[in-house]
Amino acid sequence: MSEKKDKQVDLSLRQFIKDLGGITGGAALLGAMPWLQSFTPDKLKEVEKEKSRIAIIGTGSRGQYHIHNLLAMPHTEIVALCDNYPPNLEAAAALSPKAKKYSDYRKVLESPEIDGVVIATPLNWHAPMVLDALSAGKHVFCEKSMAYSMEQCKAIYDAYQSSDRVLYFCMQRMFDEKYIKGIQMIHSGVIGDVVGARCHWFRNHDWRRAVPTPQLERSINWRLYRESSGGLMTELATHQLEVCNWATKRIPGSVMGMGDIVYWKDGREVYDSVNLVYHYGNGVKINYESLISNKYNGMEDQILGHKGTMNLATGIYYLENEDVGKSGIEQLLSQIGEKVFTAVPLAGASWRPETKKEYKPFPILSENFNVNDGLSMVGAVNDGSDQILSAFCQACITGEKGKDIVEEAYSSTILCLLGNQAMEEQRKIDFPEEYKIPSMNF
Amino acid sequence: MFHGSLSRIMGTRFDLVLTGAGREHSARIWEHIQYELESLDHMLNRFDPDSEISVINNRAGNSPVQVSHEMWSILQECRDYHQKTFGLFDITLSDFSRVTFHEKEHSVHFLQPGLSFDLGGYAKGYAMKKVVNILKTNNVENCFVDFGLSAIFALGHHPYGDSWKVSIENPFHKGEILGEIALKNSALSTSGNTPNYAGHIVNPLNRKWNREKRLVCVESDDPVDAEVLTTAWIAADTILKEKLLTQFDTKQILDYNL
Repeated sequence: MSEKKDKQVDLSLRQFIKDLGGITGGAALLGAMPWLQSFTPDKLKEVEKEKSRIAIIGTGSRGQYHIHNLLAMPHTEIVALCDNYPPNLEAAAALSPKAKKYSDYRKVLESPEIDGVVIATPLNWHAPMVLDALSAGKHVFCEKSMAYSMEQCKAIYDAYQSSDRVLYFCMQRMFDEKYIKGIQMIHSGVIGDVVGARCHWFRNHDWRRAVPTPQLERSINWRLYRESSGGLMTELATHQLEVCNWATKRIPGSVMGMGDIVYWKDGREVYDSVNLVYHYGNGVKINYESLISNKYNGMEDQILGHKGTMNLATGIYYLENEDVGKSGIEQLLSQIGEKVFTAVPLAGASWRPETKKEYKPFPILSENFNVNDGLSMVGAVNDGSDQILSAFCQACITGEKGKDIVEEAYSSTILCLLGNQAMEEQRKIDFPEEYKIPSMNF
Repeated sequence: MFHGSLSRIMGTRFDLVLTGAGREHSARIWEHIQYELESLDHMLNRFDPDSEISVINNRAGNSPVQVSHEMWSILQECRDYHQKTFGLFDITLSDFSRVTFHEKEHSVHFLQPGLSFDLGGYAKGYAMKKVVNILKTNNVENCFVDFGLSAIFALGHHPYGDSWKVSIENPFHKGEILGEIALKNSALSTSGNTPNYAGHIVNPLNRKWNREKRLVCVESDDPVDAEVLTTAWIAADTILKEKLLTQFDTKQILDYNL
């Protein structure tokens, strides 16, 4: 859960984007990441006199996380809250007491007082709600993944093509400074040719929420059941596959994988352990692994190049042939980044982390940065979620569409669903022709 | 995690690794610390001709020099430490008795030509104490602070451990770890000779430069105590070491003959 905020949303990313305008290569970066072009402090100044009137549909833990972030934004007003589970609705109302309460999202969409909706509901509700909201003329911000099925994803994509409304999906890494800078470095050749990707997300938690009565099990623990969830793929992997595509500028053409319920045999239907290989047309592969009964390896998004490794989640990169000497404080920083607790050498360089012996870590950002350990089930602080939401609220005022965001969400969601299909059918699945869209490069 | 770094301050590098505080809160604390260290550097750096210590060093041989309130309290503390260490800690590096202090005017006068103050064995400890105060008043619970990894203060614990650990390497034998110390709410100072930097510690009692292959680490709650005692300990003989132990409340002293 976001810490209580008595402050404005951090403006450093906006300043970072603005500063890019003044540096060599900055324009090229913005050209390659067009969704950031209008995310500047000046643009915020232009719009902050106005208020985007926002409704939250789905006020569970993630919805409340967004409410905390919205409350800190100058250009936003929460006018409505909607949930069919009264305790969550009341919890949200306590955070935003002036907002009108609803239990049916269709009634929210009828209200002319609302510019945009933030949807944080179970996955199977994304498509009907997004499509209805666009038809009702609302701007839409929806949680990832895009939708429950490939058909639904395509329906949303198609509806968006003919809509003049703004549509965002919460692909927060696209607004996370260390990812933006790290991908920029990959694209500028810092780690050489991209030759592979290794992404994993480990937790040790049953992924359950407390259920007051057994009848509510499937609606509260919706993540665990196939009727409402794609499991680890749509809840976690979607972010990481998006990053791999962003880094490689390609979409994998096929996927193989295995999924099992290894430990949490509690009646759930989705895998608690998945291992997949995604294959790009040029031979580069993503090795993806997620397990929720051991958290030793944490969460990492590693892009491997022939000259180095970009560890985007920890904000650190390594070069293949660099002198291994490093100062103690650099070692301490990389230790923390890698969640290792070992001694820092006093006044001399002798110690190196056991797991990355030969490599000197370089921070992607020069001074301070946030590391998301991936353990929170709700969302990390400063992981880009507040920034992308701020961009959406700005777009609700300007009407400017978020370039590439829908395409990125669409691609990564389809890949997650194909991964689930590959594990289920225990075979290699090729990317289906009917779900290819013009922006995709295989 | 927040990392603040100053590459040239108090004659060395300063680093601060702060965990668990928000980004903006950390940045505000860092600004405060940076300002404090830069002010202190300007006051105590004897290589800066405009610093207060340089002005004293240049003029106090001729006539008494009035000093600032803070400088006065620093010099008084150094005088106390001179006594507590039986003369082993001496900011004149030669003869502290040749300095006169005028209480009323807060002025100092060198009675011997060529005398000067060198706060090298003190300033980092003093600065560290101020930094720790800033951290504590801002409710920081976990932080690792260091000057060139030779003067350290560890507040609370590492995000993935119950303390902050440092290891001590033999400077004359790369890769040989002499020991490991788990620090929690304490300061660690280290002093000694290394292959590249020897003979920089003088014994004020016999005026001899120490060239022994020695490494001394002192852990204490008080960063100034730790800093002063490492310097004194290097110069002390067995009897003086025993006497020093009666004067200082330390957590541990590690003395390596290498």
